[in-house]
Amino acid sequence: MSSVMTKADVEAAQHLQHAHVEPKDFLRRYVFSIDHKYIAKQFLWAGLIFLLVGGILAMLIRWQWAFPMKPVPGVGKMLFPHTGGVITPPAYNSIFTMHGLIMIFFAITPIMIGCFGNFCIPLMIGARDMAFPRLNMYSFWVFLLSQMLVTASFFVELGAAAAGWTTYPPLSTNVGTPGLGQSLVVLALFVTGIASIMGAINYITTVIRFRAPGMTWMRMPATVWGLWLTSILNALFVPVLGSAGLMLLFDRHFGTQFFVTGAAGGIGDPILFQHLFWIFGHPEVYILILPIWGFVIDFMSFFARKPAYWYKGSVFAMIAVTVLSAVVYGHHMFVTGMSPLLGQAFMLLTLVISVPAEVLFLNWLHTMWKGSIRLTVPMLFALGTVFVFGLGGLTGIYLGTISTDLYLHDTMWVVGHFHLTMASAAFLGSFAALYFWFPKMFGRQMNQKLGNVHFWFSAIGVTAVFCGQLLAGYNGQQRRLYDPFQYTYIAHLRGLNQLTSYFAFALMLGQLAFIVNFFHAIFAGKKAEKNAWDVGTLEWTHCDSPPVYHNFDDIPTVLRGPHEYNHPEVLEKLGKDWIGQAERMPGETGEVIVAAAE
Amino acid sequence: MVVALGSFGILFACLLFMYAALRSQAVAWPPPGLPELPLFLPLVNTGVIAGSSAMFVLALDALEGGRRSRAVGFIASTFALGCVFVGLQLLLWSRLADAGITMRTGALGTVVYVLTALHALHVVGGILALAYWLAFGLRDVLASAIGGAVRGGSRGGLAAHSTMLRLCGMYWHFVGVVWVVMFVTMFLL
Repeated sequence: MSSVMTKADVEAAQHLQHAHVEPKDFLRRYVFSIDHKYIAKQFLWAGLIFLLVGGILAMLIRWQWAFPMKPVPGVGKMLFPHTGGVITPPAYNSIFTMHGLIMIFFAITPIMIGCFGNFCIPLMIGARDMAFPRLNMYSFWVFLLSQMLVTASFFVELGAAAAGWTTYPPLSTNVGTPGLGQSLVVLALFVTGIASIMGAINYITTVIRFRAPGMTWMRMPATVWGLWLTSILNALFVPVLGSAGLMLLFDRHFGTQFFVTGAAGGIGDPILFQHLFWIFGHPEVYILILPIWGFVIDFMSFFARKPAYWYKGSVFAMIAVTVLSAVVYGHHMFVTGMSPLLGQAFMLLTLVISVPAEVLFLNWLHTMWKGSIRLTVPMLFALGTVFVFGLGGLTGIYLGTISTDLYLHDTMWVVGHFHLTMASAAFLGSFAALYFWFPKMFGRQMNQKLGNVHFWFSAIGVTAVFCGQLLAGYNGQQRRLYDPFQYTYIAHLRGLNQLTSYFAFALMLGQLAFIVNFFHAIFAGKKAEKNAWDVGTLEWTHCDSPPVYHNFDDIPTVLRGPHEYNHPEVLEKLGKDWIGQAERMPGETGEVIVAAAE
Repeated sequence: MVVALGSFGILFACLLFMYAALRSQAVAWPPPGLPELPLFLPLVNTGVIAGSSAMFVLALDALEGGRRSRAVGFIASTFALGCVFVGLQLLLWSRLADAGITMRTGALGTVVYVLTALHALHVVGGILALAYWLAFGLRDVLASAIGGAVRGGSRGGLAAHSTMLRLCGMYWHFVGVVWVVMFVTMFLL
């Protein structure tokens, strides 16, 4: 794939992306901004606030599992005044439902895709902004509307949604969960879906059309690959959730009978909802992990000071996962009485999808092998991500195999598994990204010591909490039980659950280090250097920290891939162990751009 | 736009999938005690929306050939046919209600109303976009007729909005195709 670009092509690229003039009035600049960097920060704030809300809900769940029927200390009297601080069963249902939904759709998604998608894609591919800056702005405001709907749902009669994050009918119909709260949350999912699709259309188009001259597909940072593939999954599969949510809303409010059946009187089919939900739901877990894989591929190379091992293999593995993710969803439904032949097909496909994941995993290890590893905070978080993702991946094999899944289905094992693979990996990976790009976003450095404290609390915390859940599940503890210990066969797990909860509380406590660090750095952090980590991607080599409004005065001409570290020739000629993607070697011409290494 | 249409397409594909699943599980279709769905009105409407798509093609041709007022005329007729389509759908719903099929009458009502209503909403979206473009188009044509420049003429008038019209056209053909699929599966089969 050798491409020769002429000067005309380069000029065409410059012309396509005329620089926007920075607006002067307050509203256009700080509220209804069309600048991708500012929208990224808006998403970041919105996501971090809801991450805190989701975290508090998680603490309430852990309290309930450790000390059921005991009043919650501190905030309990305020949250549950009628019972003196004891969590009631309906409140408990709401808490675990909202924990799941908030974390997935209103915390991780905005931070990882909304924030880093917006921030990284244009800067890393050498673009001045997104392809559709105004659509980008609408995407954020539509997203904010969905967050408001969720917030409102907490304050209506009968409380927020309580049918589990999966929202299965018949539980989620009017019969199972009456009250406006459930409807508001389903509506919020639909609205946030619209925001996601707007974002996805923007990201996909931007990557296809706005790459800087010389930025071939195989020279793109892996981060951009991950975010781009995620956007494709978003554009294809979020509408499926949208259609399921719409039909559920029609069932709840207009008397249609898509999913209503049985005693509720109707001829609908609740299993169909599960099909639609998981056709979306399985790609969704890859939506949440693909950007993280991209970050990790890049960070392993950046901080091991070595080229990413088999970069192309990693890219193709990510593409393979993207394709396969669409055809494995049946493994969520092994116990719905599906045909054994169909079940086996889904089992086979599920096990096949772990192959590309292993390719990625081995590539990360190979990248680190014999590297000069720099244990910076982002690298620590990236290593933590690799560790929990590995644990989570291994425990998934038991769930993908029908014979073991029949026993483990709906136990705490499932909860432990998906929290390790998806939640912990996304959690640690997002923090890796935040620590890495923070200097570029805010122009200031975060404190390394506090970062280390935050890392060890987080990494040990998530590992211990979710391994505790795996153990409890293996011993037969069902998920979502209000008071697990009223069942004699798992009553002896009280000690294990309490220990797990203590780790969870420590995990939460450790986040204080981040909050302190984050705010201190924003207001009083040390000024960041232009290239804070000595890496070669465009946002570090060609943009100030923070970048100017139009990112690049001149669109850079890219000459090589993103992972050129410790190249002997560069060491000899330039005396440093890295070279920028658009940096010329002595004697290298920039007049005619030839993609030689492809 | 192609990506956006992909997303819209998946939405309708899921709805049609629900319809197929519910119908395949039913004992008889239409469910016992309910009349057959009318065929005449939807057939007319298929013609209407096909005609509107044809008008759109002619309009883009005219615009490419530089005949602006012709283009505006064709778009106006697309717009009018779109309005007729929505009107006929309203008529269809009232006929159905008269025949005893409402949204609450089991699977048939559920499917017919939700699918056609969501489709009609998308058509209305298209009509609004066309109205927006027509406002520009008419102003441009009038201005050249009078021979004077109008406010906003510096923004490029029709030329700048031809891309928008092309994208509108993709969307318009898309909702047309969705209707044909719905017509064939729900009313014809």
